[in-house]
Amino acid sequence: MKRKLIAAIGVAGMLVSIAACGDDGDDKKKSGADGFKGETLTLWAMDGSTPDQWTKDVKAEFEKKTGAKLKLEVQQWNGIQQKLTAALSEENPPDVFEIGNTQTAAYAKSGGLADLSDLKESVGSDWTESINKSTVVDGKQYAAPWFVLNRVVLYNKKVWADAGIKKTPKTRDEFYAALKKIGQKTDAEPIYLPGQNWYHFVGLVIGEGGELVKKDGDKYVSNLDDPKVAKAAETYKKFQALSKAPKNKDEATPQQAEVFAKGKTGAFIGMSWEAATAVKANKKIEKDIGYFTIPGPTADKPEGVFLGGSNLAVAATSKKQELAKEFLKIALSDKFEGQLAKESGVIPNKKALESNLKGNAAAEAAAPAASGGGITPLIPEWAAVENEPNPIKGYLTAVMNGDSPADAAKKVEGEFNKRLSQKQ
Amino acid sequence: MTVQTERPPSGPPEVVKSGGGRNGAPRTPRARAGALAPYLLLLPALVATLVFLGWPLVNNGILSFQNLNMRQVILHLTEWNGIDNYKEVLKSEDFWRVTGRSIVFTAINVVLIMVLGTLIGLLLAKLGSKMRRLLLFGLVLAWAMPVIAGTTVYQWLFAQRYGVVNWVLAKIGFSSMADYDWFGGQYSTFFVIITLIVWQSIPFVAINLYAATTTIPKELYEAASLDGAGAWKQFTSVTLPFLRPFLYATTFLEVIWVFKALAQVYAINKGGPDRLTEILPVYAYIEGSGNQHYGMGSAIAMLTIIIMLFLTAYHLRIVLKQEEDA
Amino acid sequence: MKRSWFGRVWPNVIAVILFIGFVFPVYWMFATAFKPTGDIISEDPVWIPFNFTFEHFKTAVDADHFGQMVINSVTVTVLAVVFSLVLGLFSAFALARMRFKGRRGFIIGFMLAQMAPWEVMVISIYMIVRDAEMLNSLVPLTLFYMVMVLPFTILTLRGFVAAVPRELEESAMVDGCTRMQAFRRVILPLLAPGLMSTSLFGFITAWNEFPIALLLNKDAEAKTLPAWLPSFQTVYGDDWGATMAASSIFAIPILLLFVFLQRRAVAGLTDGAVKG
Repeated sequence: MKRKLIAAIGVAGMLVSIAACGDDGDDKKKSGADGFKGETLTLWAMDGSTPDQWTKDVKAEFEKKTGAKLKLEVQQWNGIQQKLTAALSEENPPDVFEIGNTQTAAYAKSGGLADLSDLKESVGSDWTESINKSTVVDGKQYAAPWFVLNRVVLYNKKVWADAGIKKTPKTRDEFYAALKKIGQKTDAEPIYLPGQNWYHFVGLVIGEGGELVKKDGDKYVSNLDDPKVAKAAETYKKFQALSKAPKNKDEATPQQAEVFAKGKTGAFIGMSWEAATAVKANKKIEKDIGYFTIPGPTADKPEGVFLGGSNLAVAATSKKQELAKEFLKIALSDKFEGQLAKESGVIPNKKALESNLKGNAAAEAAAPAASGGGITPLIPEWAAVENEPNPIKGYLTAVMNGDSPADAAKKVEGEFNKRLSQKQ
Repeated sequence: MTVQTERPPSGPPEVVKSGGGRNGAPRTPRARAGALAPYLLLLPALVATLVFLGWPLVNNGILSFQNLNMRQVILHLTEWNGIDNYKEVLKSEDFWRVTGRSIVFTAINVVLIMVLGTLIGLLLAKLGSKMRRLLLFGLVLAWAMPVIAGTTVYQWLFAQRYGVVNWVLAKIGFSSMADYDWFGGQYSTFFVIITLIVWQSIPFVAINLYAATTTIPKELYEAASLDGAGAWKQFTSVTLPFLRPFLYATTFLEVIWVFKALAQVYAINKGGPDRLTEILPVYAYIEGSGNQHYGMGSAIAMLTIIIMLFLTAYHLRIVLKQEEDA
Repeated sequence: MKRSWFGRVWPNVIAVILFIGFVFPVYWMFATAFKPTGDIISEDPVWIPFNFTFEHFKTAVDADHFGQMVINSVTVTVLAVVFSLVLGLFSAFALARMRFKGRRGFIIGFMLAQMAPWEVMVISIYMIVRDAEMLNSLVPLTLFYMVMVLPFTILTLRGFVAAVPRELEESAMVDGCTRMQAFRRVILPLLAPGLMSTSLFGFITAWNEFPIALLLNKDAEAKTLPAWLPSFQTVYGDDWGATMAASSIFAIPILLLFVFLQRRAVAGLTDGAVKG
């Protein structure tokens, strides 16, 4: 009896492996509008990037137009670089994949991305210049800009009302005073800000007009000892001191939105979609969530923000280059790019499409800061810095724990420089 | 699983005569039958090991002499760089610090695991059948817990906020522990990691040790008690000698398992804070895969193997000698 | 021999304390899996999930390709364990019962094999499998897992084979059994405890392995369960409830296997030499 079962499992296993192999054999070279019948385009999108309706509609349109099938595989951010490197070296890489804007340059240099300059010419003439910057390396277009997103303050209206605060703050000082007041008047934690929300820190650095790296001869080195960076770190520390959040963790452990969902937190700095996370953890929080732009030094200058975002790239070794471009043309068309902005509240790749954000409270709060936003240095060496243990996180924790920014900078300088000078 | 379902047709009578331990059996002339037989029996295992372990190992060695990063992997490039990777690793202070830390880390864990595991194994033998079943059940639960799940739960138990450990400590009077950050310091992080590894490893030692004690022939105890030996004397003259080979072998296993404990250490705090809890495999992983510096990672892996050989050389020598004597 | 009250009680007291210590983290996993999300992250721990929910289990099981992953994991694990037991038994028998040139070398060789740091050889393994065009297949995983547990199986079984009294085997052969029959009828049953612990070990190792599986089998259809466990920690929040529910489901086969094997093993013991 048992033997039979095992034999059956064994046979099943062989069938599975055969099926898995058989899947990939159908990438014949074809071209022309309707010549893609029977092909399957594999798309790797990151977790959270493809809202349901958008995915459904794009898929339908793509399959109708080309006759090919679209296979979407959702990937986790954790460990994605290693996984992507491996996948790009394979016989059958994902044909189109989403890639973080801070990591695009490194992959472009590695030879894994197809040149999309002709796509830029045909559909990308009006891509927003600042968003498209991350996709261009040595004058060539290695990916198509997809969307960017910046952080806002998500706050608990009820907590703020309990503390007697009527208006959302417009300056950094007002923001601090409001949080202080929450601390005094309520039993809520004024803000949840862990020590390693380094994206927010990058925003602060951009707000100060600082740079994380500088050129030393022909290579890049740490610029963390710059006074502007130090000033950003001090600002971070000042606000972090109001939080009980761990100094050596980032915003994902525990998920800050889930802490916020408890209703005992005044505010946190996060992405607009984190509201959904909070609501998922606690339905009752929904009506209390409000958004405002992260206040900057003066009322007319919002805080600097990190414009995190994603590009869509085509694998250089994909055998379906034409089909991949067809897909990009559809996915990035005004219709679907607009729909994406509307559904996800992300900033689309064209100025003209930003009207889709109207009425989205979170997106409207994000918008004023976006124009002053920036990104990590757009150099191929940067991707290595983001690998764990990220030296910038180490720097932040050191500062939060009482080191002077200068000492903290010295502490992580070696690791930071090592990453920047890593052989490619 | 299927191989053990058949039972002997009848209980063989001469069983009792045994008791000479593992190596006491005399040679028989039958061993001469077919000089090739042992090689044929060993052949499948040998081939499998050579192909699926030997080859990756050799390949790993080859990679360690290459400059192998993101670009080279993606484009299938082979860029030899001689012994550069080794030079860089051996020159780096980090590597030696991590090596020292790994050895101390392994020693602490293995001592704890072996001492506690042995005591619990003996306790199992002493317990009544109901209690034994209960404790065995508990041990097996811990053992069966997937490594990923185990580390996740431990991270929670020791979380600064919402962590059960801090909550309990605060309740029983250590109010300063209410917000204690276990992952903020090197030693406290190691404390959590060691607790986790010891917790995961004891069941193997304890259960197997208990199983081994059940194979100690009762007559040995009877003989000992006829000679007037007390409980302690019985333990030192019968139990311990009988279990000694087992204890050696288990210690050896635990040394290599703890030394290689990449998943637990990495998952608990990613080798942090400030890379202070990295042990060799974690270091190899972070420098290699994590940093996409694969050639370097391979070099560290090779060095890790060499260091492990040093650590276990003593045991291997004992084995060599034993087999010679046999 | 009579023991004092104290002497009878303390082992039980310690056993209970140990039981709690070993079980608690596991209990916490199961308990969390049954708690509503709001009770999971909580200022005061919710010790017992009175607000019982199956929601997390539903989330866990509803994951894409869950059924396929179960089939894949079971296939790979069972085949790896069975193959390693068969190969291991051959080798163990040769090493324990036969004298031949190079025997010592084999033993040391398998001991060295046992030390192999698989975790840090992942990239090397990956490149071999990739270049052999065997990615997204269950065959390489099965074979690698088999070899991963093979040295342990061989060395452990060798001890068990050696512990079987040779006289037993001989008397069986005197009774007219061939060597093979003697092995099957007499030795094999006595090896039950050894087979139990090696197959359990093999099962746990193969079932839990993830660094290699994650890199080799990236296609949805070819994934094994370790790819499923962390899939509930998404940008929309770490769904700890679902993660723990998945972990619970993941742990259950090993628990069942142990219960099953333990009964066998005990039966083997009582039938065998020990009781006489």
